[in-house]
Formats: sequence, C-alpha cells, structure tokens
Amino acid sequence: MQILRKPLQRAYRKAIKLGSKATIDLIKKKGLSGRGGANFPTGSKWEMVSKEKDSEKYLICNADEGEPGTFKDKFIIEKNPEALIEGILIAAYAIKAKKAFIYLRGEYDYLESKLKKAITKIKNRTGSETPIEIVIGAGAYICGDETAILESIEGKRGQARTKPPFPTVRGLYSKPTVINNVETLANVPLAMLYDDWNKNLRLYSLSGNVTRPGVYELPLGTPLCDLIKLGRPKNPIKAVFFGCFGGCIPHCDIPLHPDAICGKECMLGSCTIIAVDEKQSIVDLVTNIAKFYEFESCGKCTPCREGTYRILNILENISMKNADMKDLDTLKELAEVIKETSFCGLGQTSTNHLLNALKYFRSEFEERVKEKKTRKRTAR
Amino acid sequence: MNIKINNKKIECEEGKTILQVCKDNGINIPTLCYQENLEPEARCRLCIVETKDGKLITSCSSYPKEGMEIKTNSEKVKRARKVNAELLMPEHMDKCFRENKNHDLCRLIHELGIREVRFDPKKKYKVDLGASVIRDDNLCINCGRCVAVCDKIQSTWAIDFAQRAHHEHVTPYSEKNLNDVACIKCGQCIAACPVGAISEREHLQEVLKVLKDKKKHVVVQTAPSIRASLGEEFDLPPGTLVTGKMVAALRRCGFDKVFDTNFGADLTIMEEGSELLKRIKENKGFPMITTCCPAWIKFMEHFYHDLIKNKNMSSCKSPHEMLGSLIKTYYAKKANIPKEDIIVVSIMPCTAKKFESTRPELKSGVDYVLTTRETARLIEHFNIDFKNLSDEDFDPVLGMSTGAAAIFGATGGVMEAALRTAYELATGKELKSVDFKETRGLDGIKTGKVDLDGKKIRFAVANGLKNARELLKEKDKFDFIEIMACPGGCISGGGQPLPYEKEKIKKRIEAIYEEDKRLPLRKSHENPMIKQIYEEFLGKPLSKKSEKLLHTRYFKRSPF
Ligand code: SF4
Ligand code: SF4
Ligand code: SF4
Ligand code: FES
Repeated sequence: MQILRKPLQRAYRKAIKLGSKATIDLIKKKGLSGRGGANFPTGSKWEMVSKEKDSEKYLICNADEGEPGTFKDKFIIEKNPEALIEGILIAAYAIKAKKAFIYLRGEYDYLESKLKKAITKIKNRTGSETPIEIVIGAGAYICGDETAILESIEGKRGQARTKPPFPTVRGLYSKPTVINNVETLANVPLAMLYDDWNKNLRLYSLSGNVTRPGVYELPLGTPLCDLIKLGRPKNPIKAVFFGCFGGCIPHCDIPLHPDAICGKECMLGSCTIIAVDEKQSIVDLVTNIAKFYEFESCGKCTPCREGTYRILNILENISMKNADMKDLDTLKELAEVIKETSFCGLGQTSTNHLLNALKYFRSEFEERVKEKKTRKRTAR
Repeated sequence: MNIKINNKKIECEEGKTILQVCKDNGINIPTLCYQENLEPEARCRLCIVETKDGKLITSCSSYPKEGMEIKTNSEKVKRARKVNAELLMPEHMDKCFRENKNHDLCRLIHELGIREVRFDPKKKYKVDLGASVIRDDNLCINCGRCVAVCDKIQSTWAIDFAQRAHHEHVTPYSEKNLNDVACIKCGQCIAACPVGAISEREHLQEVLKVLKDKKKHVVVQTAPSIRASLGEEFDLPPGTLVTGKMVAALRRCGFDKVFDTNFGADLTIMEEGSELLKRIKENKGFPMITTCCPAWIKFMEHFYHDLIKNKNMSSCKSPHEMLGSLIKTYYAKKANIPKEDIIVVSIMPCTAKKFESTRPELKSGVDYVLTTRETARLIEHFNIDFKNLSDEDFDPVLGMSTGAAAIFGATGGVMEAALRTAYELATGKELKSVDFKETRGLDGIKTGKVDLDGKKIRFAVANGLKNARELLKEKDKFDFIEIMACPGGCISGGGQPLPYEKEKIKKRIEAIYEEDKRLPLRKSHENPMIKQIYEEFLGKPLSKKSEKLLHTRYFKRSPF
C-alpha cells in the first residue's frame, strides 16, 4: 500500500531545503487534494493562509472521523503515524503556523499515546520546534465540520460558524487556519518524496454485508462491483450506502469517482462504502440513519434540529406499520427542505440517504404503509 | 454594485447584507432570529431567498455579489419557509392559545397561509417562574435572540443553550432557575423574544385584588418614561405623550391617588446632588456612580464588588422606592391613614423593579410593580376607552415635578438632571443653558466635563451593560458616572410595549425631551413641593431622616 510507505523524515528535510514557497508549489504540482470529501487542492489552501498578513497562524489536523462506516484515518494513525506527524510538521512549516492541533475523535482516545510517541520521535529526529497539541473531542459528530472544530478547540459548544469568513481568513482564535484531514496530511511527505506517488489512490472503508470488511487502497474510478467483489459478500448485494451522508444507490456497475457518483445524486465523500444485501430492509436502515442524525444534529438551525426529529418520527411510524401514504409525501417534503435550508453540511446532507431511498426503493416504503391497511381490515 | 431582485435591477452598497438591501428597497423578508446591531446567527432559516442556480441562502447572513440574481418569493422559497415555520409551531401553538399579534411567529404563520400543522408537540418543558422574569420553554423556538442579547448587549451571560439536536434549549447553567443565577432581571431578553416565551412576572392579578378591597387605600405612581410609551399599546403613534390620559385612566381603574414618580426623581436629584457635593468637599469617593437602575445595581453586586468596598456607589434608593417610602410615612401621616392600609403600586418600564421591591434591606414602600404592558392590560380590563379620555392632573404634593425629572427615562437624563442642580447648589449661580447636550443620544458611552465652582467634574454615561463594562475599565478617569442597564435607558426597558424598534425608541426619547422643554420648572431644586417636603418633614438633604428613608446599602452576590 502506498499509504504505508515510510518517508523517514526525508520529506521534512526536503521541505526545509526548499523553503516554504517552493514546498507549497511542489504540493500543488503533485496535485494533492483534500481527502475529507471536498477534494480542494491542498497546496492552494496552504497558499491562501501563507499569504495572509497575520503573524499568528494555526494548523489543525482533523482526526474526528465520526462518519459511520469510516475507519481509514484510524487505520493510518495505527499503521503509519510517523508519516502523519511528518506531514503535519511540513504543513506547519509551509504556512508558518505557530502551533498545530490534532483534533482526535473522542472514541479514538486510546490512540492518543500512540500519536504522542510518534510526535516525540519525529520531533526529536527533525528538530522541529512547532508544538503539536492533541485535543480530544467529546464525541459529537458535528465536530467533524471544520468550523465546529474551531469552536470546540476554543472551548465553546460544537456548532458550525457562519461562512464567510472562511477559516483560511479567520479561523482558530480568529487567526488564519488550515484544516486538513488525516489522510491528506499523511500523503504530504509521500507526495513530496516519491516520483511514483499516485495522486489518484484513495483509501476505501468497506463494511456492511461483506465477509471481508476493511480498508482498501484503490484508485478513483475503480468500478463499484470490483470493490464489492473484494469484500466477498455472501448474498447478492442490493444497495450501497456512501456512509450516512453520501446517500445510497442500488448496486450497479458505476465507477467510484466523485463525478459519476454525483450524477446519481450521491456523494463519494470520504470513500465510505456500506454494502447492503437482499436480506436487509431499506426502511429499517434508513430509520437507523435517521436516528443517528436526530441524535447528532447540533441544534442550531430550525430545519435540522426540528426536521431530523420529525423525520425519525415518521420513519418509526412507517416501520411500526402505523403510517399512510400522505406521510411519505411529508417525509419527502421535509427531507428536501432540510437539504435546501440547513445551516451546515450535517443538516444539508442528513437526508441524502432518505431522498435516494425514496427514489430507488419507494416500493419498500409503500409495502410497509400498505401493511397497515390490510391489518386493519382483518381486524374488522 | 448592481444586482437583480425579483427581476428588478437594484443598485446596492457594498457591506450590506441581502436582507438590508431588500429592506432598503421596500421588499419584506420574514425573519425570526435576526436582530439589528447584532451579528446574524442564521438559526431560523426563514429569511431564505433563491439564487440564480436554484440554491437557497439566508439573506440575513449573505452579501450580494456583482450580477447576482435573487428571488425572494419563488415557489421554492415559499415552500421552504412554510415547512420551517411549521416545524417551529407545534410546541408554541400548544401554549399560545390565541394568535398573538406580538408574536412574530404567529404573524408569520398567517402571512404564509399555514392553516394546519402536521406535527404534534414533543413534550412539556419547564416553566421558570422568576421574581421578575418568567421563561416558558414550551413557547420557545430556539431563535437565540435572548441569549445573544444577554451575552452581547448585557454581558451578563445568565442564559445559554444547553444540549443538542431537538433537546437543545435555553437555560441558565446546569438547568438552574433564573432566580438562582446572576440574572440581573433587566428584561432585555423579553424585548428580544419574538414569540413571548419570556415575559414579566405579572403582578396584575394581585393589583386587581387590592383594588377590589374596600379597606385598602391604593396609591399608584408612574415612572417618567411611561407617559411616552403607554399610548403605543392603544395604537397611538410612538412618541405620543399621554400623561393626562394615563392619569385619568388610572383613576377610573379605582386607584385612590395617582402620584408621579417624577416627584421621586426630583427628590433623588436633591439627595444625589448633595451627595456629590459632599464628596467634592471631602475629596473622596470618586467616581460616584448613580443607582437609579436596579438591574445595574444587581449587576454591580454580582460582578463589581470593589465598587461596594470603595463606596463608589451613591447610596440613594431608586426614585420610585424613595416615593414609596414617603407615601408610607409622610403621606400616611398627612392623610391620616394607617400605614398598613396603604398599598403602593408602581407603574414602571422595568422588570428589575419587581425584583427590587422584594429586597429585604429596602423595607420597600412599594407593594406591587406593573410594567407598561401590564398597565395596558389593566386599563383594558376595566373597558376604558383610553384614546378618548380627557386629560387629568396628578394628585397634589407628591404629583408635582420638574423637567429635570421628566428626562430620567432616557439614557443620560439622570446625569443631566443632577448636573443642573449640582451646578446651582455648588456655585450659587444661575445656570444659563440647562441643556447638557453631551449626555443625550443613543451612543453607548458619552462623556463630558463641567466646572463646578473650581472643581472640574468629568462625567460619563453608559447604557447597556456591555458598554458599562467598557466604561468601568477606565472609571478612574471620571468623577461622576451614570449607568443604565437598558440600551437607551428606561425608555426601552424590559417592560415597555413590544416589539422593540429603534425608530420607536427615538420617538419616545424625543417626546421626553419635549416634556422637559414644556415644563415651566426644569431644575429639581426649584420644585416648590420638594422645598416644602424638606421644610415640613425631611429637614435637609442627607439629614438623619433622609438617610433612613431614602438611602440604602448593597451586598455582594456570587458572579455565577
Ligand atoms: S433578564 Fe437580563 S440578565 Fe436576566 S436573562 Fe434576561 S437579559 Fe439576561
Ligand atoms: S426564549 Fe424567545 S428569544 Fe429566547 S431563544 Fe426562545 S424564542 Fe428565542
Ligand atoms: S434602565 Fe431603566 S428600565 Fe432598564 S433595568 Fe434600569 S431602571 Fe429598569
Ligand atoms: S433571520 Fe436569517 S436565518 Fe433567521
């Protein structure tokens, strides 16, 4: 696997030799882009912050991997923390950050000692003076959002901020801040060092009804079927969920590329694939995900706070065979308005799975709804 | 910059939000969480508009870009607004029995044409019955305006959001009650709330009861700022002075005497002015700080203990408490009514005065405090046709006052009134121009200087407690400081007619200064009745009797 190569501090030394500007240019040339989901060119992000006049700047490594079914960051921290730390030090050097933070998901607190060890080791070997602080989250999904991380590190409630200003202009403590995800930063030294570094390789987290779940390194554009085959499912796969927020589609031959997935009104995001076989009920799955959002909404804006609650209610009624067709319309309308008007990414994506499920698997919902009527009739 | 709104070309300045641009061009966009002068939090998602590419954005927090095309009323916008408003309704509707024209949400539901709400209320929430302020979580729609005001304007931090998702709610820390935390009872959160989830602790029922009681002699007094605002509750234009109608209406409600808190204000100036002169003579205790505002006093007791220790605070009671004491002593004796049979009701713009009247150390002469809003309800209760009443005068002696007292209701008014009297008492010369323009206006902090017979007095006025905090950082640069908790002074107090709009408040302030100009006497010490009461009863300012009846002490409270 490319991600497991050991840069052994050579990339850091190279960066120092090149100086900050040339390092940024190199990253830009290599075409490294953000792996958190937005695919924003990493070098350009760094450049924006390095050009800000402020003397105080920060780097944050987003290790708040809260997306259900996603575990690639954990994989990196466990298997190659040295590359990650080296990447952090290079990024901090390139943007002249005063301090770097690793915002670690609360449930990953057992990885803290591992990270700490790696920090001491790499800092000793490189002689870098940049302090790296590990901040452990309190377990809120919303804190995977860039601006909510800022609030959380500042000691406030984890809620997203209004953008603009963007963090690159006014981030942590109102200073220009770069926020990069673990996979992105771990790739930094590799991209700098190896000529054969492939910018298209991604880490896919595969789980669900497969016998071989785990992290797979494959290029963007790999056919979905190929990945599923690698997972060796027992039963035929009916549908695929792209994590909680990415939506779902019926299992088909589609390349795993953001553009192709987007055409299906889904999002590849952080390459999370949850396979669902024929034995599963889509309604139950969707209800489960709705429960997740009803619990994780930060509560700030109306559609997400109230809407996720109402959606779960209706879905539970459907599951309990206690709803009628009108409720399906309400469900759709709610889901659309939540998507259109929520404040932050959490709300905006919280109904993707539902909208697609209603589109591709509507019959499953209708069956449940109809069951209610038949039952009533027999009771009479 | 050129943009298009609803297919109409519009030129707009940079730096204004889409919402402001729309407002400037007469396009109405519904808002629930947006507040003038505060940063948008964009929580409610009702102010959405549609862009060319079909995206919905919140107009309160987005800025126009060159060439932008915006639709404010497309089908997509309308549907989303409807759904979001509907999502807010279930709890509110359950508790808000009638459609209340003061509730922004209720008005909105009408505008949007929502006739049916598809969702049931979730559960019953807590009702926090505070001494001045009541919070009913069942009505709350989590717009965050109260939290923003308490934090960003009052810097009191008594309330905040707790928990997340649909469990999120507003509360003092660790689910305590408002009475048990450092809430200063200013009621600015009431003014901010678009759905009436926060309101005053009513004394109306108690007052109706004593009005019925034949054995009780019920006396009412009205604060300086009520006469400029009460009319609004009866659909008179903002800034209409209704002094005469107010007195007439209160008599018809059955109050035995109608006195004027302005008399108490004149008295306050005599006491406070003399206190200032005494400090100048002894050359200690600077800066001296006014104490007319009970919310400010409570704030100081929570957060500024050194002002108590260093005796910076004037020891004067607030004007209505002074008058209350006099009613139960001087007036009781004169009218030959046992003190126990007299009930004093204060009509105030203020919720903090309700708390104040329960302070044990005051042995308060005031039994009940009604806000302006409650007073309107009282008048309505007796089916009085307020608009068509003919003017009547206050009852004599404790109803006579000067222009100096009239301006107490606006920020800077106490300072101006005090300076008018202090100047003449100190110099023995006549003050040519009685207007101290530096003290007027809605700026957060105002400063100036005046020469009191050789001693230069540097004065400062702050309104809104965030501003007060700023001013107190530099308190050593001043000799005399006035602080009022509410932005703009009592004229925009927590008990005034809703909703609050800056223009309305400006009109009220104009009315108050009009009243000052209109009155023949404009300095407190010229009030003949004040002279009389000192001769007959109190002796002179700061006498033993004055100290006992008109002054008070302060206590440290926890800042949490
Ligand atoms: S009354 Fe004043 S201090 Fe108390 S919660 Fe309301 S705004 Fe805050
Ligand atoms: S109490 Fe009123 S102002 Fe405060 S959040 Fe609730 S609705 Fe908004
Ligand atoms: S400024 Fe006036 S209305 Fe506001 S709290 Fe103080 S006394 Fe009450
Ligand atoms: S007014 Fe803009 S979101 Fe509430």
